[in-house]
Amino acid sequence: MTLRRVFKTAVVALSLSGFAACGGVVSSITGGVSEGLAKGIMNQQDTQLVAEGVPTYLLILDGFLESNPDNADVLLATAKLYSAYGGVFVTDERRSKAMLDKAKSYAMKSACLTDADLCALDTIPFPVFQERLQGLDEDTLPYVYGLATTWTGWIQKNSADWNAIADLAKVKALLAWAQDQDSGYDGGSIMMYRGALETILPPAMGGKPEEGKALFEQAIEASDGKNLMAKVLYAERYARLVFDRSLHDSLLQEVLAADVQADGLTLMNTLAQKQARELLASADDYF
Amino acid sequence: MLKKLWLLSFLLVGLSPMAMAQTFKIATLSPDGSFWVEEMKKGTDAITKRTDGRVKFKLYAGGVMGSDDAVLRKMRIGQLHGGAITTGSVSGAYGDAAVYGMPFKFESFEEVDYVRDRMDKMILDGIEAGGLVPFGLAEGGFAYVMSKEPISSVGNLKKAKVWAPSNDNLSIETLKALGVTPVTLGLGDVLTSLQTGIVDTVATSPVGALALQWHTGVSYITELPVVYFSAQLVISDKAFQKAKPQDQKIIREELTKVFDHIDKKNRIDNVAAMAALKGQGIKVITPTAEELVDWYKIRNIALDVNNKNKMFSPAALKMLDEHLKTYRTQHAMSGQ
Repeated sequence: MTLRRVFKTAVVALSLSGFAACGGVVSSITGGVSEGLAKGIMNQQDTQLVAEGVPTYLLILDGFLESNPDNADVLLATAKLYSAYGGVFVTDERRSKAMLDKAKSYAMKSACLTDADLCALDTIPFPVFQERLQGLDEDTLPYVYGLATTWTGWIQKNSADWNAIADLAKVKALLAWAQDQDSGYDGGSIMMYRGALETILPPAMGGKPEEGKALFEQAIEASDGKNLMAKVLYAERYARLVFDRSLHDSLLQEVLAADVQADGLTLMNTLAQKQARELLASADDYF
Repeated sequence: MLKKLWLLSFLLVGLSPMAMAQTFKIATLSPDGSFWVEEMKKGTDAITKRTDGRVKFKLYAGGVMGSDDAVLRKMRIGQLHGGAITTGSVSGAYGDAAVYGMPFKFESFEEVDYVRDRMDKMILDGIEAGGLVPFGLAEGGFAYVMSKEPISSVGNLKKAKVWAPSNDNLSIETLKALGVTPVTLGLGDVLTSLQTGIVDTVATSPVGALALQWHTGVSYITELPVVYFSAQLVISDKAFQKAKPQDQKIIREELTKVFDHIDKKNRIDNVAAMAALKGQGIKVITPTAEELVDWYKIRNIALDVNNKNKMFSPAALKMLDEHLKTYRTQHAMSGQ
């Protein structure tokens, strides 16, 4: 079974969080010129403007890494930006895949530079991986979280590859660890991403959709209902999995009726509304 | 009177080809977005197009219609018309449907291919005679022993906490006859049981281990095919016969094409998944020649269990054994 497209929307959401990490780093490189860049991007409603503007910053960050290849913060920011741009805005599959390969490689290196226990996580057996997580310091949270989100984007892009499917358990464990450290990190989005990953399999195959449901509800609550992507994922992943059309439609109607403007969430909410319209349009075929 | 005729003609106009469209409701455990579901959608879309909308399909993915047995029950009362289910589940329609699943029967995929070329038609005809229309068998692959501790010999297995599917009587009874008390669980409970230590040994295909994430609960895989399993899409004959003959032909053509593709792709996927398991650090255990002799003794234990419980017919088992004997003789002679 290849889990193609199973969690595409989740990855859109995960990728977009990458923009938020870039402003500070780009700002430090460019001497303060880009102060507020991340916020500007995340509060942007014009998705085309974002798509056309981001490559410039990718080039700046890559250029900085040429002379500072071991800067963990810049590596992480660049990984997130490549993951966001390559995962959401690049339609050419070959280019998109190359960007997500680069993003994963940067995020892996960044994590490894931060803590030796975070090195080579993709090649060690799962029990060893779990042991390493136990000993991690709380300070590594941004790197662990950044790696988990970037890695998930890479898995989605490579979901025809069984090596990528094998890695799903590891990103789930990384996100669970991140939530244990600080469930409110990144506006509580950890719960949304975990919810999406917990609703891949139906209960008959060992999935735990009710856990996913609880996580989606926590994510919505943490944002005071302003995170519209959490509602879209709740509908797409949970309501469809348990065949609850009433919940599915009401969540999506709420998304369409809501104001996309919310601090730090506008770009994601704009894309969430687009996704909500597509899901409602295909609901008659699904249910 | 004229008014009634007008009304009648109005009603008949309503019976255009589109209005008479037949919708087949099909269920599967595979999640929406999975390879199986995506391929089935492609096939059913092609059918709808080729029949000008006379035949439509509604796919219920992700187990929303329940287990394979529940799907079959719903098919009997007309709530569903078909299901993509394991071959073992259709034994009610044809008792020998899952004869390939006799433990330790096959030693290689080459043997499987040789036998399937010669026996698939008999099995598919048998299922159809039993009231379910199949569209080819789709390989699930070989199940291998996967465990927390290395299992090289039957002796190792006897010390393990072994999972057996709760609806698989042949495996349960064979394990018991071997001296192993299996822990019987539904598919959905296995991962949690591996994590909590209720079981420490399972048997599944490489694809199954990765898709269900069971690989996170095991450290070893014993490179010895335990059972071969398959699945197929079946539509109840009663529902199928409601389609026009020319539409039945189109349905058969398209769905057979889909399942032939799935059959071949699953082989490729299992080979890739085995490599991925090794890449995840799962160690491969290869039994010695002496240990293999013990493992293959299970064939006779399973045969006794089968005969006692009257599962597969002697005729089907004999046919299977003869094909295997011929294949092995030919390849022993050619030195392969």
